[in-house]
Amino acid sequence: MVNRPTNQSQSHFHGGLVLRHHKKSSCDPAVKSAGIPNKLMIALKANRGVAAEPVVKIGDHVLKGQVIAGPDHPFGTFAHAPTSGIVTAIDEQPTAGSDASEALTITIKPDGQEQWLGTEHKCLPENRFEIIEQIRQAGIIGMGGAGFPAHIKYQQDTATIQHNATTLIINGAECEPYISCDERLMLDHPVEIIKGTQWLIKAAEAQQAIIAIEDNIGGVKKQLDEQLKQQQIHNITVVKVPTIYPTGGEKQLIKVLTGQEVPSGQTPLAVGVVMQNVATAKAVYDAIELQRPLIDRVVTVTGDSIKQPRNYLALIGTPFAHLLRLADCQDDVDKLVVGGPMMGYAMPHEQIGIEKTTNCLLALPKDCTKPEIKAMPCIRCGDCVKVCPQELLPQQLLWYINGNGQANDLEKAREHHVFDCIECGACSWVCPSHINLVDFYRFAKSELTYLDHKRAKADQARLRHENREARMERIKAERQAKRRQKTAQLADKDSAKKEISAVLQRIKQQTQETADE
Amino acid sequence: MNKTFNTTSAPHIPSRISVQKVMLWVCLALLPAILAHVFYFGLGIVLQMILATTSAYLFEWWCLKWRKQPLKPFITDLSALVTAWLFVLCISPIAPWYVSVVGMFFAIVVAKHLYGGLGNNIFNPAMVGFAVILIAFPQSMSLWLPPSELIGLSQTVEPLSFSELLNWIFSGHQQTQVDAVTAATPLAAIQTGLQQNYSLSEITAQTIFGDFGGMGWEWIANWLFIGGLVLLYKRIITWHVPVALLVTTLVFSTPFYLFNNDVFMSPLQHIFSGGIMLAAFFIATDPTSGCSSNRGKLIFAAGVAILTVLIRNFGSFPDGVAFAILLMNMSAPLIDRLTIPAPYGKKPGALP
Ligand code: SF4
Ligand code: SF4
Repeated sequence: MVNRPTNQSQSHFHGGLVLRHHKKSSCDPAVKSAGIPNKLMIALKANRGVAAEPVVKIGDHVLKGQVIAGPDHPFGTFAHAPTSGIVTAIDEQPTAGSDASEALTITIKPDGQEQWLGTEHKCLPENRFEIIEQIRQAGIIGMGGAGFPAHIKYQQDTATIQHNATTLIINGAECEPYISCDERLMLDHPVEIIKGTQWLIKAAEAQQAIIAIEDNIGGVKKQLDEQLKQQQIHNITVVKVPTIYPTGGEKQLIKVLTGQEVPSGQTPLAVGVVMQNVATAKAVYDAIELQRPLIDRVVTVTGDSIKQPRNYLALIGTPFAHLLRLADCQDDVDKLVVGGPMMGYAMPHEQIGIEKTTNCLLALPKDCTKPEIKAMPCIRCGDCVKVCPQELLPQQLLWYINGNGQANDLEKAREHHVFDCIECGACSWVCPSHINLVDFYRFAKSELTYLDHKRAKADQARLRHENREARMERIKAERQAKRRQKTAQLADKDSAKKEISAVLQRIKQQTQETADE
Repeated sequence: MNKTFNTTSAPHIPSRISVQKVMLWVCLALLPAILAHVFYFGLGIVLQMILATTSAYLFEWWCLKWRKQPLKPFITDLSALVTAWLFVLCISPIAPWYVSVVGMFFAIVVAKHLYGGLGNNIFNPAMVGFAVILIAFPQSMSLWLPPSELIGLSQTVEPLSFSELLNWIFSGHQQTQVDAVTAATPLAAIQTGLQQNYSLSEITAQTIFGDFGGMGWEWIANWLFIGGLVLLYKRIITWHVPVALLVTTLVFSTPFYLFNNDVFMSPLQHIFSGGIMLAAFFIATDPTSGCSSNRGKLIFAAGVAILTVLIRNFGSFPDGVAFAILLMNMSAPLIDRLTIPAPYGKKPGALP
């Protein structure tokens, strides 16, 4: 059922799948420019950082490379106009993310002039902080999928943890089927990728870099190796890793290359690694040496509904419809997926713009997509356990989350490490009962996060309440102490008499005063 | 222009695996052993298969109706077929018809559907059915046919013709006939022999015992082994259960045998007779009623082996596999809880 080749020299991650690649058809033809579409929709998303705020208004004319949105915040990223044109709308639009969730989007109508913003020529950065700053200003984020702002990976360590990134891993192992943009990029731009990698080494102050590629792609390693030899670069090595899904997953790739596991809940820095995608390395080169912000990327347009699958160089914000038309998309599309077939997001329609993280548009007809079969009960066959790269017990998680008719036992799911699930979908893929397991884990994670949030709030409220109680208690105690003191005084006869007469006096006075008024 | 697409969640591409296929492979893997059974013991097993399968599906259909479950995916998932066939491989091929019917009632209705149907049963249905039969009809379980090899060797035993077989199963048998055509199973023979104070070597000197386990039986075990290899190759089962079960049986029965080989069977005899091979590849590997983690599987299988050997050596039933399985089924949830594997990034000894 699930077939795993063995490779001796490297470590393994547990489980995984061998999938059909479907990469060749889109990888073979050269990259083609997608040209200028009739509109660009640039989503300003908060990719775990802080969303950029628009700095242009509707009706503004913008130049290519001009900043159109910027952060108020050190973690925010910049967005630049991919071409010159007029801003026609700034509103909430569906985006190329999970559930096509909406985000603030700047729509630009290109004027076709491709007028660049004249930039003053920046000097090459001298130290790591300058490199990081230039990366940030160019709006570079992790282009492999998660979209984590690139500069943050390098900022964290100086400030918080002791600096221990010894290895920079450039991830060229796109393990999902169909996607070939990274492979194509490595074939076309080996020099740029190597140069970008060198900048990143400096930014991370790493000792070495590893460019990881899958062992099923032939020419790439030779090309990169030749370049490295020519330029006498010794701190970058190109390593082939076995093509097992999800070998390109951050945690899995680190395990394969270093033999170490990133401790649960921590970043790769904990094992001395910073990881970046090849496309990001190329973008870093563009940003630093060409002073070109991140305004376009290579996107694979493929799938069985596409007559001419290939890679396109597309401006950020290019609507799917434009790319699909270029690639001669048939009418039989059942699913339009952003990303790969295992973890990608199904899009509701084609009027959504590509993002910096969009590596693939996958158009699949009905007979290539997973049929909607009614899920059967879990038969505990254990196939999901065999394939889970995170070494979880997916069926056990399902049991707790599903509650099997009983009360949901989400906390048990937490005990079974549901938060370590990377949502790779390997378990769903092999399940003979056709249970969409990942959906359950997503649900459990969001539910638990919500509950934690609520609990934290309740805890706070309780704390506040307890503090208040304690305060009241204290006041009461003080009052009582005072009264006790008083009674003690009263017990003393003489002073009691005095006290009483004083009180009587006072009352008398008061009654007189009220009478007088 | 405003095309809309299907937005169901990932993964988007199909894999061609289904419960039905898994079950089908289990049935296919059982076929060689069933053919061997026919070869050595005649067509009895085929009649029993027809009986058991028919009643299994009638009960399945009835239970689904009664539990208001859709017939469609469940009746075709072939899980009832697996249950029926496993059960049939355990019972005597000349058992009266009601044995299969009662066995399947307990397997399908009680063990499976009363516990919530497919995937929710705590006990292995086939073993529940078989255990009930062992207790309710011990007599008919100890009546077996002699293996055909033996028939060739002796003049006194005649093979049953098909019509005699039908008669035998459906209308019972006269006591006078019994001794003429039946033979005890090797394990039962050992049990009675020991009770009559024969030594083990005397008992096993009888031809019925073949080389290790018993004539015919050895070969069925071999074919079960081959079928098991198919399941391993198809990755329907993993090595953990069969290896742990067989190795533990060997290791655990050795000291007994060395201690007193007049009373205790040899390790190979343990493996090649009775239900050990069936349990190792087909029953203890049942995922639903077994353990889920690899470590759990090892413990589970070792437990089955130890209990089986103990019951065979000291208990009052000739074979202990069924009871051993049921006892371990009960312990499986606990074993599971104690053997949650450490996931990626949470291994002991890793960085903090
Ligand atoms: S693969 Fe599916 S049926 Fe098998 S154990 Fe996992 S969840 Fe259950
Ligand atoms: S989705 Fe989660 S549980 Fe399923 S295989 Fe991937 S990591 Fe394991």
